[in-house]
Amino acid sequence: MADPFLSIQGVSKAFGQTTVVENFNLDVERGEFVSFLGPSGCGKTTVLRMVAGFEEPTAGSIYVGGKDITYLKPNQRNVGMVFQAYALFPNLTVAQNIGFGLKVAGVAKADADKRVAEMLEMIKLPQFGDRYPYQLSGGQQQRIALARALAPKPKLLLLDEPLSALDAKVRVSLREEIRSIQKQLGITTIFVTHDQEEALSISDRIAVMYGGKAEQVGAPFEIYNRPATKFVANFVGTLNVLEGTVSDAASGKVKVNTEEISLKGKLNGSKTGDMLSLALRPEAISLGRRPGNDASLSGQISDVHFLGSVIRVRVGIGESSVSLDTFNNSTTPPPVVGEKAEISFSSGDVLVLH
Amino acid sequence: MKTGRFWAWVTFILGACYFFIPLIATFEFSLRMRRGEYSFDAYSVVLGDARFQQTFSYSVIVAVFTIILGVLIVVPTAYWIRLRMPHLRPIVEFITLLPLIIPAIVIVFGYIRMYGSNSPLPFLASARGTDVLLIIGYATLALPYMYRAVDTGLRTIDVRTLTEAAQILGAGWTTIIGRIILPNVLIAVLSGAFLTFAIVIGEFTLASLLNRPAFGPYMQLVGANRAYEPAALAIIAFAITWGCMSVIQVLSRFAPKSANRPN
Amino acid sequence: MANISATATSETTGVMPPARRSSLRMATQWIGVAPFFIFALMFLILPTLYLVMGAFQNAAGEYTLENIWLLFQDPSIRLSYWVSIKISFWSATIGAFIGLAMSIAIVRGGLPNWVRSTTMTFSGVASNFAGVPLAFAFLATLGRLGLVTVILRDVFGLNIYGMGFNLLTSWGLIAVYLYFQIPLMIVIITPAIDGLKKEWGEAAATLGATTWQYWRMVVIPVLWPSFLGTVILLFANAFGAIATAYAFTGSSLSIVPIKLYAQMRGDVLHNPNLGYALAFGMIVITGIANVFYIWFRVRSERWLK
Repeated sequence: MADPFLSIQGVSKAFGQTTVVENFNLDVERGEFVSFLGPSGCGKTTVLRMVAGFEEPTAGSIYVGGKDITYLKPNQRNVGMVFQAYALFPNLTVAQNIGFGLKVAGVAKADADKRVAEMLEMIKLPQFGDRYPYQLSGGQQQRIALARALAPKPKLLLLDEPLSALDAKVRVSLREEIRSIQKQLGITTIFVTHDQEEALSISDRIAVMYGGKAEQVGAPFEIYNRPATKFVANFVGTLNVLEGTVSDAASGKVKVNTEEISLKGKLNGSKTGDMLSLALRPEAISLGRRPGNDASLSGQISDVHFLGSVIRVRVGIGESSVSLDTFNNSTTPPPVVGEKAEISFSSGDVLVLH
Repeated sequence: MKTGRFWAWVTFILGACYFFIPLIATFEFSLRMRRGEYSFDAYSVVLGDARFQQTFSYSVIVAVFTIILGVLIVVPTAYWIRLRMPHLRPIVEFITLLPLIIPAIVIVFGYIRMYGSNSPLPFLASARGTDVLLIIGYATLALPYMYRAVDTGLRTIDVRTLTEAAQILGAGWTTIIGRIILPNVLIAVLSGAFLTFAIVIGEFTLASLLNRPAFGPYMQLVGANRAYEPAALAIIAFAITWGCMSVIQVLSRFAPKSANRPN
Repeated sequence: MANISATATSETTGVMPPARRSSLRMATQWIGVAPFFIFALMFLILPTLYLVMGAFQNAAGEYTLENIWLLFQDPSIRLSYWVSIKISFWSATIGAFIGLAMSIAIVRGGLPNWVRSTTMTFSGVASNFAGVPLAFAFLATLGRLGLVTVILRDVFGLNIYGMGFNLLTSWGLIAVYLYFQIPLMIVIITPAIDGLKKEWGEAAATLGATTWQYWRMVVIPVLWPSFLGTVILLFANAFGAIATAYAFTGSSLSIVPIKLYAQMRGDVLHNPNLGYALAFGMIVITGIANVFYIWFRVRSERWLK
């Protein structure tokens, strides 16, 4: 990354005695969409608010386009921000809300009106200019908040959990819309969320945060398939964990319940007799044997959930159990609780957590 | 931020001065009865005055009856409106706000003209009847406060669901009202009651125009004829108001918190 | 008001249950609220209507506009309305601005928490501390022998009474009324200021607005309806008050409630129907004020939903 557009360098923030962000580093390229993903209290919102200028870092600096903005006032940073609770001005119409940033910047009325119309077109609410926020649904309000943030052509777009207050259907459609607008405008965007599915589906890169630190920064594919830490593995996606014991370190044999599987080359120097946690994504496990799956375990079906297009099956293996998904197929009857079953997977998909 | 806080302090302190200086001055004045030294003489004169004792206890009794009458009128109505006749809410709310719109002196003027000794309902023909009319008038004045307190209480406990739950469990109406609704709105009713007490205890207009020996007209009379006793009376009245408001504050800590509805 | 009752009647007819059982049903339904409506009718609505009707009648019971005409003709009555309106207007306006400033200071000023809770408790007390004792308190403070008067005279050498100050004037009464108007404003307006979301300010800042632009374009317009609504409530509150003024100045200060009081005690006017007209005038003024109040209230609640 030769010339990052947004550069957060060694930023820390403490409120009194408690440190909420500790030595956070991140470079974001121009036009990139980066998500901060983590549980509440992990410091993701605090980092965003420092970029926006609502909090001053205790240490470190923030650069945008090579310029140090660490101590610049929020109203001089030219960033657009969308809040969880919409934060539309209740006394202004939709058009006045969108035009707010243009008006305070002293843009001529004709130009501002044109820009507002453009923005309304972009969020597909062209007829809504004269309404008041209270007359609109949550999803519509949030789209207007997005248009308002984008109208003054900010250098950076900051999204603080913009979808959390919406219901499930709107959430999915709006996140796709946000992503497509972002791509169309090519605006550098930071998106804060605690929802891993959201982060995975729309980001170029994700920074998974925990305890005020970035645990891992990477593309969604990388984060999901090659989690760097146990926290990331657990937080992103559903994970089955099986406990095993190394029975022969040299040949990579691991004993799980009563059976042995071979995990050659994945044991990273574990010794014979070590306890291991083996993590598997549900989609990596098949019911019954499959070509290409070189490991198998037998167990008993303990639970069957019919979810429509897929059936989620829970299989007990000794003391532990794993979840796996099979596609619903109208000609095959679903598995029955209590049946014996064999699961198989590729040893390459196993994540060994130490 | 720093300058903002400075001005906030300035505003607060100036306001505090405006509100505390009269209290301090009144207290100081009430201690000046004996020449050359501070004493509680004014208080002992006031408290020892037989007319003080009579009028004060008269007002306390009137206040208690006002509260009972107010509760009897407001609680069943507010409950019934919440439960069965929500479409009447706007009308009832409007009526309960009327005493804030129509000045007390106008209401009592109407009473005097309508319920005189020659009228079909001659409240004013006897002293007892006039007492009743005074209590009715006070209950009317307290209506906005009482209704709001009780209605807020009912809203936080979601009466409809509670009543339906009790009915499904087989409870009769007496059980529902006595064991479920009243205990849950008791705090709200008590808040309304203490507010009513604070309003009624020193009220002047109604008592004076109906010629009843109440505390308000007594204070006015003392004020017109004495020097130091009025200050002592003002301090006593302030203490009573403060006491009522403190009780309401304390009560609000015990109020049931909304369990299932944020509004 | 017409609006309210119109929707209510249409709903009553719409909700009417099927004919069978309904008469019994309706009867029990109404029993629950009947005491309230009978009480309100007998002791609130009819007495008021009685006066309103009387205002348009002469002593013989014939309908006339003569009494209303006299309200405008008689210079002393005209003056009393003028003084009442002046006192109510200024005590409401000044009280509202000071109350607003104090409310903003305790909500937004970054003061410690105890300041807010103490102010709110005290405001609850002071907004109900009106009537006779309030007048005493101010006489003991700024009267000829009041503490502040004496301190100013003996310590600072300022003889305010010598300089023409007099507490027993309409401005003196305004100062006294502020003692309950300011706290009442604080009690009512503080929730509205709490309703200003922090995010609005942050959104405005990211959009490039200065603090003043944010206040001018968002805060003031949002607070305006609740502010104006409360001013009107304070106005009505002062307009109907009598006890403080009466204890303060006796019947020397000519405000409408005192004039009506004197008339009812039988010392001034000899035409009872003119008394009705005086009362009618008070109802009209506070009534108009409250129509505005309700209107502003509806507007502010609509926004802050």
